[in-house]
This record gives sequence, C-alpha cells and structure tokens, in this order.
Amino acid sequence: MGIVSEVSVATAPTRRAHQGRTRSIGVIMGLIGLFTLLAFGVGSGMSAQSSLTFNPVNLSGTIPWHVGTLTLSTAWTNIVLALAMIALAVEVNLRLPARGVMVRFGVVAVLFFFSLLLWAARTGGPAPINFVNLTAVLVGSSALAMVLIYGSLSGVMCERAGVVNIAIEGQFIGGAFVGSMIASTTHNFIFAAVVGALVGGLLGLILAFLSLRYLSDQIIVGVVLVTMLGSLSSYLNLQVFTPFPQYNTGNLAPDLPIPLLAKIPLLGPVFFNQTGFFYLMIVLVALVSFGLFRTRWGLRVRAVGEHPKAATTVGIRVIGVRYVNVIVGGAIAGVGGVAFMASQGQFQPGYTSGLGYIALAALIFGRWRPSGAVVASVLFGLSVYLADNLQTYQIPVPTEVLGMFPYVITIAVVSGLIGRVRPPAADGIPYQRD
Amino acid sequence: MRLELRGITKRFGSFTANHRIDLTVEPGQIHCLLGENGAGKSTLMNVLFGLLQPDEGEILIDGEAVHFTNSGEAVRRGIGMVHQHFMLVPVFTVAENVVLGFEPVKSFGRLDRNRAREEIRHVSQTYNLEVDPDAVIEELPVGIQQRVEILKALNHNAELLILDEPTAVLTPQEIDALMEIMRSLAASGKSILFITHKLKEVKAIADVITVIRQGEVVGTAQPTDSEGDLAALMVGRSVNLTVEKEDVTPGEVALEITDLVVRDDRGLPAVDGLSLSVRAGEIVALAGVQGNGQTELVEAIAGMRPVESGSIRLRGRDVTNATPREVLDAGLGHVPEDRQLHGLVLSMSVADNLVLNTPRRAPFARRGSRNLGAVAQNAGELVQRFDIRTTSIQSPVASLSGGNQQKVIVARELSRPLSFLVASQPTRGLDVGSIEYVHRQIVDERNGGLGVLIVSSELDEVLALGDRIAVMHKGKITGVVDPSTSRETIGLMMTGAHAEES
Repeated sequence: MGIVSEVSVATAPTRRAHQGRTRSIGVIMGLIGLFTLLAFGVGSGMSAQSSLTFNPVNLSGTIPWHVGTLTLSTAWTNIVLALAMIALAVEVNLRLPARGVMVRFGVVAVLFFFSLLLWAARTGGPAPINFVNLTAVLVGSSALAMVLIYGSLSGVMCERAGVVNIAIEGQFIGGAFVGSMIASTTHNFIFAAVVGALVGGLLGLILAFLSLRYLSDQIIVGVVLVTMLGSLSSYLNLQVFTPFPQYNTGNLAPDLPIPLLAKIPLLGPVFFNQTGFFYLMIVLVALVSFGLFRTRWGLRVRAVGEHPKAATTVGIRVIGVRYVNVIVGGAIAGVGGVAFMASQGQFQPGYTSGLGYIALAALIFGRWRPSGAVVASVLFGLSVYLADNLQTYQIPVPTEVLGMFPYVITIAVVSGLIGRVRPPAADGIPYQRD
Repeated sequence: MRLELRGITKRFGSFTANHRIDLTVEPGQIHCLLGENGAGKSTLMNVLFGLLQPDEGEILIDGEAVHFTNSGEAVRRGIGMVHQHFMLVPVFTVAENVVLGFEPVKSFGRLDRNRAREEIRHVSQTYNLEVDPDAVIEELPVGIQQRVEILKALNHNAELLILDEPTAVLTPQEIDALMEIMRSLAASGKSILFITHKLKEVKAIADVITVIRQGEVVGTAQPTDSEGDLAALMVGRSVNLTVEKEDVTPGEVALEITDLVVRDDRGLPAVDGLSLSVRAGEIVALAGVQGNGQTELVEAIAGMRPVESGSIRLRGRDVTNATPREVLDAGLGHVPEDRQLHGLVLSMSVADNLVLNTPRRAPFARRGSRNLGAVAQNAGELVQRFDIRTTSIQSPVASLSGGNQQKVIVARELSRPLSFLVASQPTRGLDVGSIEYVHRQIVDERNGGLGVLIVSSELDEVLALGDRIAVMHKGKITGVVDPSTSRETIGLMMTGAHAEES
C-alpha cells in the first residue's frame, strides 16, 4: 500500500521511535475508558437496569434451548467494562508492547460501543427497546465480518504478488449487482456466486492488464474502477431493477444449519447456522493461508511480491504470477459482493458504502496475512455493525455523525499502524524486464 | 563446461550495446571480462543468462547451440549467476532463497523444508561454504549474502559461474575470501566468468582476460600484463593511473566535527559519536565499506539530515542542523553520492543545472525574476572550462553520459567561492578518462588552499587522493592514517580494528 510506504523493521531504536505513538494511543484508550466510566457507568444512574437476551431471532422456534434474559445493573456493568478498558490503557502505557497495540485499541472500541448500547437500552434510556440481543449482535456483525474477510483475502492475493488492488469496493459492487440479478432469475446462489466471481475476476483482469501491460498507476486504475462501477451500477439499477423489481428481490441466502453444532447456545447461531457464503469464506481463508505459507506456489508468489527480479532470475514468470493472482483475487472479492448482497436480500446502489476500503485497512492491520485479516475483519465488523445499529437505539446524536464512526475507527487504527508493519517490498511497483 | 559465444549482437533501439562479441570459456578456467561501466558487460551477461535475447549470434555449451528464453532455462543448462545486486529475497530464509524456482515438494505442492535444508547442508559441505539454512537473509552480513548467492548457483548444479562485479560491496578481507572460493571452484572443474573493472583483481585471479569497450571485444590480455597496459586497452588510450599531488602545507581547521550522532531512515544511529577535522589545503579521504554511516555523515554536513547531537563547524561557524540553503551560503561545495537523485534535476537543461544552487542570486536573478542571459553565459563558460560534452547548453542533463553529468555537478560546485568541499563517491560509474579529470580538479582546489573531504568506497581512490585517510566503521572513525599505510591494514580497520591494534 502506498500509504504505508515508510516502513521499517522493528529494531530497538525504531521501537523507541514508536513508543511516543504507542503512549498516545494508550492515552486515547484511557480517555475513552474514562468517558465510558463517567457517562455510561456513573451517568446512567444506580437504579437503571439493562437486559441482555441470547435467543436468536430466526431460530427461536426450532431450537431446543432457551436462555433466559440476563438483567444487569447498567451502572455497574458499564463501570466494570470501563475499568477493563482503563486497565488495557494502563497496560499499554506501562509495558509499551511492540505488537498488538491496535488490537487492544480495537477491543476498547468494541467495548465502548457495547457499553453505549447497554446505556441506551437501560430502563429509562433513550432507546425504544429495553434489551440488547447479544446473539443478534454477533450474528449481525458476522455477516459484515464475512464480507470484510472476502475483501481482505482478495487484497492478500493481489498484494502478496505485488499488485495493490484498491478496486475491491468496485468488485463488491459488481458482484452484488450481477449476484442479485442471477439469484433472482435462477433462484440458485451457486450460479450467482460463480457469475459474481467471473465479474470480479474480469475487473481484476482489467486492473492487471492496465497495470502490468501498460504500467499504469495501480492506485489510480483501482479508484477509477470503483468510480466506474459505482456509476454503472446506479445507471443499470435505474434502467433494469427499477422497472423490473422482480429481478432484484428475495435474495436472502438461506441459512444452512450444521446438525447438532448449530444448536449450541450462542456459538451455534454465530458459527454453525450460517449461509453457504460463510462456510465458503472459512474454506478460502484456510486455502489461501495454507497456499501462501506452506506450498511451492506460495513461496513463488511471495518472492514475486518481495523481489520480482530475483524471481525472474530463477525462471519464475513474474507477470504471469501477477495476472493469475490479481484475477483470482478479483474473483474472491466478486464472491464477497454476492455474499454481501445475499445478506441484504437485494442490490441497492451505494450500499457497500466503503466496505471494500475497510477490507483494505483490515489487510494492513492483519499484516498481509489471511489469519491477521480475519482478526482485523472481526474487530472492524463488530464496530461497523454496532455503529450502524446505534441508530435503532435512538442515541441522541445525529445519525450522520454516528455513520462516521466506523471510518473514524478505521483511520485511527490504520494511522496507528503506520511504520509498524511492513508490506511486501515490491507492493504496488510496476515490474518491467529491463 | 565449455562455453562459447559467437558474434553476439544486442541492440536497444538505435543503440548497439553488444556488437559481434566472441568469447570462449574453457572448463576450470577463470575468465575475466574487463571493461568500463557502460561498456556492455552486464548486457552480455544478461543475454548469456537468458534475461535478454540476442539480436544476432549464438551461444554454444559444450559445442551445442542453446537458446534461452528465460533464466530458468539457463540455470537448467548449468549456468549460475551471482548478480552485483544480490537476487535474494530479504525476508526469506537462506533455504527458501536457495531453492526458489527449484523447490523440493511433497504432496499437494507443499514445500519440503527438510529436504531443502539437507540440500543446502550437502552443497555447503561439498564446497566448504558454511551458512545456516534457517538464517533470514536481511540479518546476514553482505559477504555471507554473497556466499548464499554462490550456494544458490551451485545448488542448481551450475557448471559455469558468472560473477558480476562481485567485489564492489566487500571489504578487502572479504575480497580475499571470495578469490579463495573462486580458485577452489575452478580447481574442482567449474568455469568462472568474472566481470569487473578493477585491474588489481583481474591481475590477481584471471587465467584469461577479454577486454571490451563500447560493446565490442577490443582484445585479450594476460594477467602478467601491466595495469597501465590493461587500462589503456580498456579505455582506448594511455591513461595516467596515479594522481600527481604537490606538497601543500595545510592551514587552519576548515571542517570540525565533534561527537556527531545522526540517525538513518530506520531511526538507528548511523553516525555514532564521530569526531573528525579537516584543515584547509588538505584532502581527507574517508574509507569504509558502504553502509557504515558515510552517507548519513555527508547528508548531515550538507544540511539534508537532522543532527541528533554533537556539532559541525565550517571555518569556525556552527552549521549544526543548518538548512541546505544556509550551508550553501556558508560556502560548502557538495558533490552528492547519488548524482541523479540529489545532484541534478535530470529533465532540466545543462544551463539550469549549472546554477541550481544559486538561482536566486545575482547575476542569475534580480528582484525575483531570472536573468536567462547570465545563466546562458555562465553555462557557456563552464561547459568550455570543464570540457562538458553536450550538444547544447539547453539539452536536458539526462541526455548526457554519466561522466559528463558528473562534470556538470563538479563544474557547478567549483565555480563559486567555496570554504569547503565534500565529495561523495566523486567518480562512481565514471570511465577512467573522466576519473582522471575529476581527480585533477579536486587536487587543484586543494592546492589552492581548500579543505576537502572525499568519501569513497573505492580503496584505490582513497589511497590516490587522500593526504590523510580516515577509516569509518559502524558510525565511528576507527583511525586516521597516512596514505602510505598498507591496504591490508586499512582493510582491517574497515572491519572495526583500530589502527594501533592492526
């Protein structure tokens, strides 16, 4: 990524240079904790109570278990959460850990939103509903996390081979649009996924062709593709989906419960009662991770992304590897777009609202590793979901301001990372054989 | 392996980089390819290694014509190459680098790391080149990285080893070790093609010497021929390899550096408590292996890099952490290490580059507008005085050869009143003729009473120019010695040994 070009190995003095920043991140975490303590803890009044429920909305009829409602003192729960946040802040300030600072920051952000929900849903609070459904929160955010994981996996494929794919957002849009059309007409999500992959792969091919053949700036080509797809999908939406709404409806992918496992309280609905897209995502994470770090293919891909000339001298076809990876990466993002559409039920112009870019942030946060990208996507998914749902709790803050939250967190997290993580050395640099 | 090149021609557009080159390397032979920078050595090697395709001519291995479309094919036919800039992935381990492209695999395309380690241990033992297969490349010293490059070639069963300017980054001791490796490889029957422009090395190791100039073979020579003869063949005319210096009594201290600490881009202290003084009318040459803080030291003097602690004084005036403008105003002449990055604006004309550090001053500018007549007049004079070969003073400086680009910088820096001159790698990449010229200019300035600090990774240059030689290692001066000191001693000091110990 261009934005983290000034990077370095974490050597002792470098670490010292980072300590100032680590300390200020710790201070911010502490301030958030303090605010939570005063506003949502002490500030919610000692008599107020909040309820947590655990019963999945869509499984309630068929599950054999029914976990009762947990009613908590809002003030005390939030005080405990706030103290946990402050403890993390203190730990960061005292130990100045070299790694994992931003993960701790992400945890504080998630705790903050959770605490805010409890505060809003307390008795006498502003929310029209007076409970928080933890299972629904986890299931809802898992859908977002899944889309982010598809996106960041796409990024891993491309950037490990040395091509920056900033067009993930565009591949999401393309996948979502054709996915809805195919799913509506064939009622088959496998067809939809295949066509989504083709569209994503085609966009990857365009990116690869322009940046590998004509050595165009990859960032610019990527942004142009996103802009083009945004406008094109709006236009086609107006021309096709508005007059023929039957081509863009009823596309919620069915949940495929895994026998027995799906019935585990809390974990079951989150992990084992998901759509096919969710299970496919898990398989892809495992495949890409195994492929990159355990196989001959992966060694060659990483060599191409780190030192393409060295790869050339041992007979590896750099350009060929890059084409394949960018096209496959595009296809993965395309399926991600279909998955997003299938979690929303239909296509709407502009509704990916920058998820593709957040996926890129998750990729950096996850240090260009599939496993890291999963952790990052889960944190980002939770905070995006919680921030989105603050609106239903009628928090007395303008919705537009609430809508900024996920992006503010993304900026905070990624800027906190700059200088700490090292992208593939040849990432984004066009390669020419002499 | 017997390698024969017949009539190899390679053109880039209208430029002929190699013209009808014939060359034969016999088994067990160390064959030197001698030529100046830009003579076409690297192009020829890239053709031989399959990175480029020749326009004419053929390559024969043991009498059989071969045609390589990529270097993997060359490697399979037993050609191994040790590149000047190592072709190693810094974040990979030794084992991963050595097997890259020829990886042992298990089922499902999984890497067989144990077998890779075994292969490396085997080759290491066979050729007595010890290295830890699990070490990460970027953590290894340069000499060991080069050993990994050689191992990589041998692991692919190379019968012919091409070494492209392999000594540029090595200390004299490492160079000796490399020569030893080359001799033992040749003794075991490998053919070696050794590319260099350093005459001493050629004489020390070659069995046969082929000299190329401007893309053509101009003759063969024997290692017993004198350096002067070799240089004449390489350059095309007789050259003066020694710099004649008159005795000058140094004056007062011109540059004084005290306890200087400067950090590199990674935040590491690259200059670490360095003290050095240079007097007027003397040349101090700073020797050292690249990457020991010389770059950062010069950048700090020139105001291009912040000083963490310590001080720099130019003629008694404190210029610690001064801006480049202030340093220039204090009369510092600076020939930067990377002329294309810091010395010139390539797309601008020769005339503009010649006033790059004084554009706002009279007579080149008045009341904020430029006086182009004065700029052109200045350019005309300097082009003549410094013998800059250009089609016009308005030609972009990018169109000039490396030697003439360097002359533009030298002309610019020396054409105004100076209080001190810092020249970093002043002759890197220049042909012998230009080197002679630049050296003459520097010595003339010193004779005129200027203090000069030369930074060079070429020991020959350091020995030829320096009135005193300061040796730098890991950000510190390990000693200041007389130019009559032996190369071995200076080499030891470059590895950190102090003058009195060695």
